[in-house]
This record gives sequence, C-alpha cells and structure tokens, in this order.
Amino acid sequence: MVLETAVFHLDGVTKRYGDLVTLDNVSLDVAVNEYISFLGPSGSGKTTLLRVIAGFEAPDAGRVFFHGRDITHLPAHEREIGFVFQNFALFPHLTVIKNVGFGLANGKAPLSAAEVDRRAREMIAMVGLSGMEDRGVDQISGGQRQRVALARTLAMQPKLVLLDEPLGALDANLRGRMRNELRAIRERLGVTFLHVTGSENEALAMGDRVVVLDRGRIIQTGTSEGLYDGPASPDVAHFLNRFNLFDGDLSAGKFTGSFGTVAAPAARKADRDVYAVRYDRMRVDARAAQSAGPALKATFVASEYLGSSIMNFFELPDGKVVEMEHHLSLGAPEIYEAKQDYVLTWNPNQAIVFGREAR
Amino acid sequence: MSDMTGSVPRKDWTTRLLLLPGIIWMLLFLVTPILMIVYVSFWTQTTFNISPDPTLASWKQFFSSDTYIGSLWTTTRIWLIVLAMTFIVGYPTALFVGLLVKSKTLSTILLVICVIPFWTSFLIRVLAWRPMLGKEGAINIILLKAGIIQQPIEVLLFTELSVIIGMTQIYCVFMVGPIAFMLARIDRNIIEAARDLGAGFGRIFWKIIFPLSLPGVVVGAIFVSVMVLGEFATSGALSGRKVNLLGNIIVTQVGSLKWAMASVVGVILTVFMGVVIAGFLRIVDLKREL
Repeated sequence: MVLETAVFHLDGVTKRYGDLVTLDNVSLDVAVNEYISFLGPSGSGKTTLLRVIAGFEAPDAGRVFFHGRDITHLPAHEREIGFVFQNFALFPHLTVIKNVGFGLANGKAPLSAAEVDRRAREMIAMVGLSGMEDRGVDQISGGQRQRVALARTLAMQPKLVLLDEPLGALDANLRGRMRNELRAIRERLGVTFLHVTGSENEALAMGDRVVVLDRGRIIQTGTSEGLYDGPASPDVAHFLNRFNLFDGDLSAGKFTGSFGTVAAPAARKADRDVYAVRYDRMRVDARAAQSAGPALKATFVASEYLGSSIMNFFELPDGKVVEMEHHLSLGAPEIYEAKQDYVLTWNPNQAIVFGREAR
Repeated sequence: MSDMTGSVPRKDWTTRLLLLPGIIWMLLFLVTPILMIVYVSFWTQTTFNISPDPTLASWKQFFSSDTYIGSLWTTTRIWLIVLAMTFIVGYPTALFVGLLVKSKTLSTILLVICVIPFWTSFLIRVLAWRPMLGKEGAINIILLKAGIIQQPIEVLLFTELSVIIGMTQIYCVFMVGPIAFMLARIDRNIIEAARDLGAGFGRIFWKIIFPLSLPGVVVGAIFVSVMVLGEFATSGALSGRKVNLLGNIIVTQVGSLKWAMASVVGVILTVFMGVVIAGFLRIVDLKREL
C-alpha cells in the first residue's frame, strides 16, 4: 500500500552479503516533510538500508520508489537524495566555501562561479558558519565540520536527506545542541530527513517517526510516544533501554515470574513470554510484600544522578539488575542504603506483557 | 625554582650529546667533502699536475666549451623526459595499486612485484636492455617475425632513446611508491561524497584525487630527479658513449686525473639538484602531509 503523501517508498528490499542477510524484505513509506529515525543495534542493517536508498549499494531484490519513480537502478547522483556521512567525508584540501560549493560547481549542471559563490554563502549562513568561509576544514571544530557536511549536502537542494549516524563523532554536549539544530534546519527547509542512529535517546528525541530495525527487518514503526508506551515486541522494549524485562510464564491471563503471579489481561503476541515495566513505573514499598500485587526483594546497589531524575540500581538474588527512575519534579528522592534489602513493586495495569498465548 | 633552573641546562646538554654523533658524521662525510669540492674547483690544473693556486681557469673552460655546455643541456633534457615518462607510466600504475585495488593484501603484493627488478644488481638491470633493444635483439626479432617491419630498427640501442627507456624502467618504481601511498590514504567516503554531489569521474579525479596525491607526486619527482641527475652508468652502458651526462663527464675527468674540472662539474650538478629540489618543495607543503 502506498500512502497518499508518500514521497518515498521501499518495497521488499533485500540485500545479502554471501550467506548473511543484511536486509530482509524491508518495506517502508516515508511522507513529505518528515523526520524519520532508524534505530537499531550495530549489525541490524540500518546503515546498509541507508546506502541502498542513497544508491551506493544495489538491493538483491525489491524496489525503491522516489516521487512515484522506480529509482532502484539509478546511480546515486541522479537520485536527488543527499547523503551526510558519519565521518563527514569533507574534502580535506578545500576551504569551507569550496566544500559547500563543490556539488554546485562540479555537478551535472555546473553553475557560474558567481552563482556558486552566492549559494554556498547562503548555505553557510543558514548553518551558522558565516565568517568561516575561507578556513580550511582542518581548522574548524567537529561541530562546525558537521555543519559544513550538512551545508554541502543541502546546497544541492535534495528532496530527501540521509544522515548516517551524523552525531556519532561529536561529544555529548555538542550532540545535544546539534540535535536541535538539525531539527530547526529541517523544519526551515521542509525536506525529509532520514537519520540512522544506534542511540535510543537520539532516535526518540529527533524523529517524528522512529523505525526500529533488528537483524535486517523492520520490527516496529511509530512515533516516539507510541514506541515508548507500546513497544511491539520484547526486542523493541530491550532496544529502547527504558524497561525492566522479566522472563516468566503467561497462562490463562496470568503472568508468573520471580515477582509472583499477576493478572495480565492485555498481553501482546510475541515469540516468548516477557513482562516489561518502565523504569519510572517502579516503586519501593515494603507493604507490597504482604499484598497480592507484584513484589521483588532486591538489594540496593547504587544511584546515578541524571539532572532531571535519579536512576536507582537494585540487584535481585539471581544477579539481575533492576533499574528504578525517580523524576525529581515528583519530589525529593528517597535515600537508600547500599547493600540493604528493599521491596520493589509497581502498578500491574501499567506493565506491558508479551506472550505466546496472547492474540 | 632551583629545580627548574637546574633541569633546563641539563636537558640542553642531553639534547646536544644526542645530536653530536650525527653532527660529527655529517661534518666529516658531507659538509667537508662538499667544501673540498668547491675549493678544488678553483685549483690550477696542468696536464700532469694539480696545485692549490687559486684560478678561475676550470670554470671559464666549462662555460666556454660546447661539449660541457652541451652536456648540461643533454642532462636537463634527459632528466625532464625521464621525469615525464616515469610520471606518465607511474601515475596510472599507482592509481591502480593505491586506489582501484580494494584489498590491502593485493595492493601490497602488487607493490612488491614492482620492486622485483631490484632483486638483481643495478648493472645487470641496465645491461639486460642490450639483448632486448639491439639490432638482433628480442624486440627486433619479434617485429621481424611478425612481419610488422622488414628492416631491424637501429635507433633502439645506443641512442638517447635507449637511455630514456632504460632510465624510465629503472626509476619508475620510485614514482609509483610515494603516489600509491598517498592515494591509499584517501578516505573512500570522500570519493563517494563527491559522486553523490554529482561530480563525474573526470571532475572527481582533477578536483579531489589528483590534488590529494600531489605530495606523493612531488616526493616521487624528487627521488627520480636526484637519481637521474646523478646518473652515469645507464647512459654509459646504453648509449655507446654517445650521450654524455654531467655524471659521465665527472667520471671521465676523474679517470684522467683532472680533479679541478671534475670538481667544477660536481659543484654545478649539486647546485642544479638543490634548485630542482627546492622548486619541487615549493609546490606542496610536505610538513602538513607528514
């Protein structure tokens, strides 16, 4: 099915390297003016997918459509798709302005020198690097190089921009600022961005839609909120790194795990029985040990201050670590003693249950 | 405070001590001989004798003799032609070895193959061209048998052409090595980025690949120039003494004990090389590349 507003459409794209299937029958629709994040662990095929879309790799099967046109076998530079490389791939012997103007001056339809200069300066101003036009690319910082790479791609006025882990080479502080910057630039231009990342924080923060990949397959597509509130499988819940996952047994609408037996009326279909509780849904409550609800005896290990919240780490008798997040806006945190035992619990209605017997 | 004032001179001393063997070596075996050559070039030379009385006679003789000036031109011409030939033959080879071959193992193997001729001695490599290029040599026999020519080509051996062929073959690898090394260092993503921006192969080569390989070209050109300018064996063995380079003149003059004239040519050759190297180094800033 093709969306009405779809600008870009993947249909059963498959890519193999020898026996290794890196992309397994991937289909996806992308709308105009959208920010999409591809999230997946390394080896999930997310970079390969981006390279297939860019035209650097040809798929073994399946088709790629762009503006209703089949571009599966079109060379990279004829696709009007921009690519921002992970290590920026700037031309090391050229100045900032020559880098940005390279495609305009040397592309299929070279512009006049004056026009190249004008448009390159315009792009440099847009990414906030005015005044740095004549610097060498080895004389600017990592964040500035990232902007040059972006300006160089955007100067070609692509209709779709692919970003391969664009913030991976930056330090944490800069990454945060570049996130906002990328969103702002995208909104100003109204171009669709496809952003590949291995960081769940980045994917959830950046994307209008997040596409989760695992072993060459798309395992879930949705908004950040949608993913966060309703991961489609235990794997997605695991990648999001925001859930405590417990193995156990689901039968007759009840889940039995190390925390006892709890009612699980709304379980989701999965290939194994897993009980997921978000970090910020966990509570310490000694009374839970006597009541019928879930209760876990755990030893407090340490806590980590995250600015707006505190993450507390507890260890279960079997060695498994359970995390409990406390948002500071909800009040001052409790102080726990290291090596002391506590009882952890949660509201079972807020848990997400996966099971084989679910529909 | 006393620690600092005490440690600085000691560090100074260590540095000087470490430099000393090198300085002594260079003074004894490089600086002194060069100064000696400059000095001897002003000595008075008679047929069977040489005396340290200062005179410009040898210098005047060099610049007034057609043979010597002609040899200076021959040296310049052969140097430029061999330099161009090693570049024309070497660059595509380096492009293949350094950039187009994707496997590092294969490109290493190919570079080793380039060096195989160096497993034999220099003279054998030069002399091996004789049975190849001669009137009854391999090339003429093959062309005659194939019916392409009726008469053997005689200009192949004992001419300037044979000297150029011989030198190009011997020195080509010194051009290939540094260029291939620079090309192998180019990030493949850069080339992909240029292609994604719409540049064709020609543009990518002239705007990206060639400028980035330029330091390799300069280093290769310096290697080749230094070796060709100092040559005398290849020209002697393959030209039948018809091509006289400055190097050949030095050998002849030393052979007939004309030390003063040999020194004059030596000084001219050294200055020539100095100017050539300085010129090449102006093209790129090698310090930035290393």
